[in-house]
Amino acid sequence: MRWFIAQIILSPLFALAAGIFFMGLFRVIMARIQWRYGPPMAQPLIDLTRLFSQKTVSHGAIFDFGILLSLAGSLVVILFLPMGNMCPMSGSGGLLVVLYLMLLMPFGGALSGGGGANPNISIGISRKFILSLGYEVPFLLVILAVMTHYETISLVEIAQHQQEGGWAIFSWSLFLSGIAYLLIFPAMLGIRPFDVASAPQEISSGINVEYGGKYLALAHIEHALSLSIGLALFVNLFLGGGSNVGYFFLKMVVIFFGGLCVHAVLPRFRVEQAIKYLWKWPTALALTGLVIAVLMR
Amino acid sequence: MTLGLLLIVAFGGALLTYLLGKISSKLRDVWAVLVSLAVLFGTATFYGKSVHDALSYKFLGLPLVLRTNELSWFFAIAICGVGSLSIIFSLSYIKNRERTDFYYFLMLLINASMLGIVFAGDLLSFYVFWEIMSWSTFLLISYNRGNALPAGMKYIVMSVIGSAAYLVAALSLYAKYSTLTFSAISTQMTTASPGFTLFILILGFMVFGIKNAVVPFHTWLPDAHSEAPSPFSAVLSGILIKMGTYGLILFLYVLVGFNQFSQLAWKAISLQTVLCWLGAITIVIPTFIALMQDDAKRLLAWHSIGQIGYIILGIAFGTSLGVAGGAFHVLNHATFKALLFLCVGAVEYRTGGVRDLNSLGGLMRKMPITFIGALIGAFGIIGMPLTNGFVSKWLIYKTLILNQNPFLAFAALLGTWGTLLSFYKFLHNIFLGQLPDKYKDLKKAPTSMQIPILLYAGIIVLFGVLPGIPLKIIGGFVTSFGLTPLKINLWGIVSETGILNTINVSMAVVSAFFVAWVVFAFAGRSVPTTAQDTYAAGAQIPQDKYQYSVEFYNPLYRMVGSYLRDVIDEFYGWLARVTQMTGELVRRVYTGDVGDYVLYIVFIVAASIGLKIWWPT
Repeated sequence: MRWFIAQIILSPLFALAAGIFFMGLFRVIMARIQWRYGPPMAQPLIDLTRLFSQKTVSHGAIFDFGILLSLAGSLVVILFLPMGNMCPMSGSGGLLVVLYLMLLMPFGGALSGGGGANPNISIGISRKFILSLGYEVPFLLVILAVMTHYETISLVEIAQHQQEGGWAIFSWSLFLSGIAYLLIFPAMLGIRPFDVASAPQEISSGINVEYGGKYLALAHIEHALSLSIGLALFVNLFLGGGSNVGYFFLKMVVIFFGGLCVHAVLPRFRVEQAIKYLWKWPTALALTGLVIAVLMR
Repeated sequence: MTLGLLLIVAFGGALLTYLLGKISSKLRDVWAVLVSLAVLFGTATFYGKSVHDALSYKFLGLPLVLRTNELSWFFAIAICGVGSLSIIFSLSYIKNRERTDFYYFLMLLINASMLGIVFAGDLLSFYVFWEIMSWSTFLLISYNRGNALPAGMKYIVMSVIGSAAYLVAALSLYAKYSTLTFSAISTQMTTASPGFTLFILILGFMVFGIKNAVVPFHTWLPDAHSEAPSPFSAVLSGILIKMGTYGLILFLYVLVGFNQFSQLAWKAISLQTVLCWLGAITIVIPTFIALMQDDAKRLLAWHSIGQIGYIILGIAFGTSLGVAGGAFHVLNHATFKALLFLCVGAVEYRTGGVRDLNSLGGLMRKMPITFIGALIGAFGIIGMPLTNGFVSKWLIYKTLILNQNPFLAFAALLGTWGTLLSFYKFLHNIFLGQLPDKYKDLKKAPTSMQIPILLYAGIIVLFGVLPGIPLKIIGGFVTSFGLTPLKINLWGIVSETGILNTINVSMAVVSAFFVAWVVFAFAGRSVPTTAQDTYAAGAQIPQDKYQYSVEFYNPLYRMVGSYLRDVIDEFYGWLARVTQMTGELVRRVYTGDVGDYVLYIVFIVAASIGLKIWWPT
């Protein structure tokens, strides 16, 4: 019981710390790639402290409710997601509940944005949802292939199977699915070439345009958590999870660094180009992967 | 109270409403609400009872039966609930329209006939009530005249085809077993040949598929739902099309039985697989067509078809989790879709009939209760945790994945994303964003509209947190179909492969929200501001034009729009035109001139003589 309560507190804290670390790492590495000096690693933390103390404006109840819903959504997903050896809510529902709870984040953000009554936000949301639909097609196929292969909907069991029998991405039947997942990974994290939803130069950061002060701080926290969620899901599904938190974190860093390298060198897709890309090769690979998983079970 | 008396109250009440309307409209309104509530409470008293009443009169010496059991009661209570809430909503909605007596009469008549359908215990009474329902529905669909007339026509043509199919099925069953009662038929069907069973099921699928709007029989629904008066759209989408589901369950699981149904196959293709895939197609394509709609009610209508797909998929899949999920989704869809139609109805009422998604916006500030209703309805239909839609969809997904059917599961999950996208558009374009100047003085919805909206919203959350309440009844009839019994407690289903404990999920969401709120509340201050005070890169905000809602998902429309046509509707239209042309050609033969007819006779006689002479023998 004590361990259970400890997990409930520690697991979101770990995800938050990791997410903020990734945001700092992001800025430092991008600066070094571009031959700049760049901000210190703790810059996101400094920003958060400053933002939380600032006075700001609110666009009404739904504006507040949406961002809280979105934040609550990401916190809950983390409770259901194994982080190394921590997974407080492993018993109730598994991957299906995670898939469903992951709807809360974009929908909450979108509701808040709609309350903001700014067309830049609406365009950002529209783009974000289209992009989600784009990567969700291959993503669902990948997830179903993994669930079919391991014959379970529990993420904990999926990770355990891999720790005993080798990582899924190196197994014959899930190799193609793993590649498909890697191909859509930048889209899921919203980094280039898929940063259409937040495109600062086109739509003034889209969904964040009306946020200031604590709203922006909460949006940053939400972003940090969703980075952790995206990375943790991949590590659990294909890289065998982690027997302890440190090892798990290491795997997340490696994957994130790979994503950064892609982000650094590519320009931004237009929405149609993004969809065309996502529905072509990743979907074909994911579909083949699912057929293989079904045939090989 | 007996079932006969309940039906007499329902039908008599409907007729009296019409007559009372001739005296006083106030009296009629009160009476209509009272009748619908009386029928609701009357039905509620049959909870958990199993009744089998043979009627005192017979048809051709064959007994007619009214009966109720867990399955019938489950549908009956949903019918009465949706019916009475729609009547309450109608009080202000229909007030200043013409032919209101007729409207209330038909609303109550449809309720009564649907009750008759679920309580009917034999093929004939079922047919009688079915026809009353079909015809009165036709009259209410075309209540608004104008565009509603062709919509009603489309409905009734398809409905009549369905009824004809039903008659063939009923007569074949009668000819074979010389009985009309369901209980007698179901015992005899256990020894029926697979060919006969298949014949009956295909006919049944036609009848109920048309009412249920399963692809490829869905084409009447989008027009009918969007043209009907909104409170009736709620009934139509909420429960009337579910009579098709009831009929399907009746044919598949009561008359034929699951064992025989699952064995029907032609080589490797089983009937069950075909039905499941029809369900999957019904989920995906209509949901994405819905995404493209600009008319709020049309969008909801296409989603009705999509959600019916989940129901068909769950029921046809035939595991106890699947059937329970499908049946639960019947109830859930009745609540959230009725709620959404009522919300659109309230908006329509206040804006003077506007339901074009491109010309609304920002109404959240003017109609807060309606917005909350629409929000909870949208959460329900997407299947967000804490709403009932989450539980029923979860049961269906779970059984699809556990029984190794990832492709069907993919279709179902993809449908959820389509639903999410189109309901965000629905909420955004009506309630969020900037308020157009012309709606500055809009009033909130009248109380008689807010009551049903709040009640539905309450039910959606209640059944989302405590799904055990309806699942207990569902579990009862699922077991009676001979499927594995489900272990149900108040919080969810305790199954052999992991628990869906919705209370855990709900508690987690609520506490996470609370944590987020605490952080929010103790952080820096924020002051309220207006919608006009938004960032526009230093430029002046163009009054009344600062809204992005037309073609909300434009890049997506451009990419997939041309593929998402209703091909089947176009095919039926083509079929109708070809039939008309053929008829036109045939008509030319009948000139009406006696001389011409004499000429035809002479020609035919001459041709026969010629044939006789030159025919090689």
